[in-house]
Amino acid sequence: MSLVHKGRRITLLGLVLLAGVYVRALAFTPLERFQGPAQKIFYLHVPAAWSAMLAMGLVGLCSILYLIVKDLRFDRFAAASAEVGTAFSLVMLTTGPIWAKPIWGTWWTWDARLTLTLFLFFLFIGYLLLRGAVVEPGLRARYSAVLGICGLVLLPFIHLSVYLFRTLHPQPIVLKPSSPSLPGSMLVTLLVSFAVFTLLYVGFVTQRYALALQREAQGREHA
Amino acid sequence: MPDVPHNGAYMVAAYIVTAVILLGYALSLYRRAKQP
Repeated sequence: MSLVHKGRRITLLGLVLLAGVYVRALAFTPLERFQGPAQKIFYLHVPAAWSAMLAMGLVGLCSILYLIVKDLRFDRFAAASAEVGTAFSLVMLTTGPIWAKPIWGTWWTWDARLTLTLFLFFLFIGYLLLRGAVVEPGLRARYSAVLGICGLVLLPFIHLSVYLFRTLHPQPIVLKPSSPSLPGSMLVTLLVSFAVFTLLYVGFVTQRYALALQREAQGREHA
Repeated sequence: MPDVPHNGAYMVAAYIVTAVILLGYALSLYRRAKQP
């Protein structure tokens, strides 16, 4: 089976399971008493943020590896991960304000967490624009690796921003030193959603990587 | 005990937006791979 078909199958499985997450979150997970139905945005917003951060983390790691070993496979993977990360960060940045409006009374506030996640999105966009602007593959890989490493450096600041600054954004309730502060049924829904978003990330990146291989092969044929 | 807030429309909007973005991206990958 070719890489693109593997990616499609994983993506299809991920999308079917995402429908399952919707059913579980909407019909079989209890309402939070103080926030009401809007709290259920949590089951999409947090896993989307996780996938966006995973994507940028792998962009950064592959960028470092590319600069060390100069293997274009790392550059190709970083490019694929950046594009997929853009999609997930778009989910994060749209579901966040939709959740914030009924709970905080505002769509957006320029606090540290929100501003840094917006900056992450702009880094993804900048990374893709940079790749589109530089034609020579070696130069493109080197320049974009530097930007990818900047993205990796940003991640701990995003995670720690809720501790370091006064912010409206709640502190982590799962990824923290003590045990998760969520009722069991809500935690299961969240963890299932985490798994499904990660699976979607794998499916998307596999397809995007295969697409890059296909384009490179076509480029060699035309040359 | 406070009443549960009626803000289901925001929840529906977020679920629709997420589905549109993820399905749209999946479709975009599929179409780009099919292009000659």
